[in-house]
Amino acid sequence: MASITIKGLTKTFAAGDTTAAAVSDLNLDIKDNQFVTLLGPSGCGKTTTLRMIAGYITPDAGTIHVNGRQLSSAGDVVPPDQRGMGMVFQNYAVWPHKTVYENVVFGLKIRKTPSAEAKKKVFDALALVNLGGLEQRYPSELSGGQQQRVALARSLVVEPEILLLDEPLSNLDAKLREHMRTELKQLQRRTGITFVYVTHDQAEALALSDQVAVIHGGRLQHYGTPYDVYSRPANRVVADFMGLVNLLPAKVTSVHNGTGTIEAPGGLKLEVPLPANIGAGDSVEASIRPENVRLRPAGNGTQATVSERSFLGNISEYYVSLDSGPTLRVQTHPAQILAIGDKVTVEIDATQCSVFRTNP
Amino acid sequence: MSVEAIGTPMRASLRSRLRLEHFVMGGAVLCLIVLVVLPVLSLLLGSIRGEQGLSLDNFSEVISGRLYVSALKNSLVLGAWTGIFSLIIGVSLAWAVSRTDVPFKPLIQLTASLSYLSPPFLTAIAFVYLFSPNAGLINVLMRDVLDLPFLTFNVFSMPGLVLVTVMHTFPFVYLLASSALLSVDASYEEAAQILGASKFRTALTITAPLVAPAILSGTLLAFVNAIALFGSQAILGLPGRIVTLPTRIYALFDYPPEYGLASALSLLFIVITVVALYLQRAFLARRSYVTLAGKGARPQLMSLGPVRWAVFGFVVVTFIVAIILPYSTLLAVSFSKSWGLDFWKGLTFANYKFILFEYNVTQRAILNSLGLATVAATIAVLLGAIISWIDVRTKIPGRKLLDYAALIPLGLPGIVVAVALIQFWLAMPLALYGTLTILLLAYVGRYVPLGVRAANSSLRQIDPSLEESAQILGASWLTTMREITLPLIRPGLFAGWLLVFVPVVQELSASILLFSSSSITLAVAVYNLYETGYIEPVAALAIINMIIIGLAILVANKLGGGRIASRSGTAQGLAS
Repeated sequence: MASITIKGLTKTFAAGDTTAAAVSDLNLDIKDNQFVTLLGPSGCGKTTTLRMIAGYITPDAGTIHVNGRQLSSAGDVVPPDQRGMGMVFQNYAVWPHKTVYENVVFGLKIRKTPSAEAKKKVFDALALVNLGGLEQRYPSELSGGQQQRVALARSLVVEPEILLLDEPLSNLDAKLREHMRTELKQLQRRTGITFVYVTHDQAEALALSDQVAVIHGGRLQHYGTPYDVYSRPANRVVADFMGLVNLLPAKVTSVHNGTGTIEAPGGLKLEVPLPANIGAGDSVEASIRPENVRLRPAGNGTQATVSERSFLGNISEYYVSLDSGPTLRVQTHPAQILAIGDKVTVEIDATQCSVFRTNP
Repeated sequence: MSVEAIGTPMRASLRSRLRLEHFVMGGAVLCLIVLVVLPVLSLLLGSIRGEQGLSLDNFSEVISGRLYVSALKNSLVLGAWTGIFSLIIGVSLAWAVSRTDVPFKPLIQLTASLSYLSPPFLTAIAFVYLFSPNAGLINVLMRDVLDLPFLTFNVFSMPGLVLVTVMHTFPFVYLLASSALLSVDASYEEAAQILGASKFRTALTITAPLVAPAILSGTLLAFVNAIALFGSQAILGLPGRIVTLPTRIYALFDYPPEYGLASALSLLFIVITVVALYLQRAFLARRSYVTLAGKGARPQLMSLGPVRWAVFGFVVVTFIVAIILPYSTLLAVSFSKSWGLDFWKGLTFANYKFILFEYNVTQRAILNSLGLATVAATIAVLLGAIISWIDVRTKIPGRKLLDYAALIPLGLPGIVVAVALIQFWLAMPLALYGTLTILLLAYVGRYVPLGVRAANSSLRQIDPSLEESAQILGASWLTTMREITLPLIRPGLFAGWLLVFVPVVQELSASILLFSSSSITLAVAVYNLYETGYIEPVAALAIINMIIIGLAILVANKLGGGRIASRSGTAQGLAS
């Protein structure tokens, strides 16, 4: 139905005397019928990107095409009201002076849908988001979650090909957020609408998306499947943002056939997958996820001492100091009980490590 | 960059960008330019256009001529005394309301609101009935009946003028001071007291510095408003040969009109007002360090003991002098056959009959005033809505300039607006002088800042995403405005509408130079009748005037939820 192609997108905002690039040279290919997340910390440019897709912001450079038709460029922007997209805002933006029914029917009235048909569509849309029966309520009489659903129904009822969502779950409490997450995912699958979803919550991005675009400092850092972005991060910024990570400085000692041996100061050696652009003698950083480290009773292998522990319920978390120097953060099964000072042997699943070249 | 390279996108952008909203916004900007900017510029031009070529003769005459220097001096003296007394009365009442256990506090609020809303030229006329040197009722009573000549009071004097003006201007200080006092978090004062400071010392070293900016700002507003009032200065000042800036400018329009001198004097007037308003804004800006959370602990009320009855007495005296005395006098005069000590012997409806049915000006004046006020308030508010929408919602370059332009009229006394409009429209091919249209232009121009402010504060409370979500659903700008924005800011716009309507009904300062016999307004009719010497009918017309204003305010308060009184403190440069 709808694909989005973003090329060289750039936007700079003037803040006082200085100008700050919100988005620079962003390229993104969003395929039809996908759930794509723009993920990054606040201020990274993800919302600016979304608002440029919607047409609220004119880019300084670059283009946005939808289904091959150019909608945005530096000199010419098709206004939002002529793009036929849907958008759900962070604060829902449900109109307080209109009832639930009036909110949802608004877009159909603009499209001059005959009223009988419009009525049916509104009821269908409200049923879709489980709000049947609340048509005559005013938004002030609804909970945050219900207002969120009104905003969703309002966007869906006009059957857009593209739905833009700007942190739609961030104002909900944890339990409701979890629930709405599942519903959103199902909704996307059922409707086949292309979802572009902005969030700063990496867990949300991983759970929802077909593709995740990690944005940092206005630049696209990594664009791939959730598994790819998490397990094979393109750089240390992505590795760091996508969850807990141990970053160890190391040196490549030998390269063979897509893998290589790296050695951390103090003698820890790992056999890791190596990207093609890294060769023997390069200084690198190895990223090791805490769940890819196992702790065994002291024996043969890398020796370490437990220096800190926290029990988190579903997992246990330990800090272990390797005899060779560095400290690793480790997540284990909660049943594995160790005390501070215990001697352990550390096993690192090196196939799951990522290696990044350090800037010389 | 070559021309070819940018040619195509430029044409494309014109197509997509020139939409209805741009014409509406352009129209609003044009309105503002015609209403405010061009008249002020023509004032400047008129003041330097001499007999041959440009000259500064008018300015040198204005700053050295005896007539003009004395007018300037009188205006400044009037403003200074009014400021000082407004400060004393306003702060005392504000302090009593917010920090003491004085009884009947609503009476204080009522006194301030009514004093602010009652037109000073009516108070002035009422005081003439009581204190004119020869025939004033109280003067006659004191001198001829009680034989206490030292208790007489000549209202045609600077003290008389100050007294009447203060009745109208002290609410500016009161409203700003009381809101500042109420917003000072009591914990500041309690922190000083726990450290050992006495109540008096706390008030002096903690509270006073915190509220001083608001008080000074209110005093400057009182000053600016006091010197701009034409009606009271003409009614009380001229018989006592106290000529002020507004009355001097007015006199310059006697045949032959001295447009150049009037323009130069108007500019001088603007300079004084603008300097005072600039200081006022600067003071108000310093208020930012007062906590305005409104959630802080309420201050403990000072127990005044028996003294509270003395304070209450002061409130009652203020209420009597400012409200009861003038209006009961007007009422009494309006029903008397002949005003004098034994007026009650010949009570009659004849004055009302004459005014309403025989004097052919009244009905026309009422219709003109109500019509003008309705149209002016509507235009001022709609114009204000568009201008503040541009300021709040768009990134158009120069939008801040537009916002400032819309604030210019705050620095223009009513009579100066009139001089500027006359200067401008006399040079135009359209013959507007003496029509209802030029009065409308004057009113809209004068009060457009109130419309802008009302719309601005409402718009800032509406999250832009409410408009954006309509837009993404396909709504055009016009639809978004009609369906989303305007319904959401309607309460604020309505309050702004009333804030313009009420002062326009009683506008005199600008109307006095702009009216003709067909476009005469209510306030001008009262003033003219007074000038012609119809003593008793004037009072009847004044009472009718007050009934109309009172009804308007009543309706306003009913529909606007009592917002008029509470907002009037921020409404600068209101009454005529």
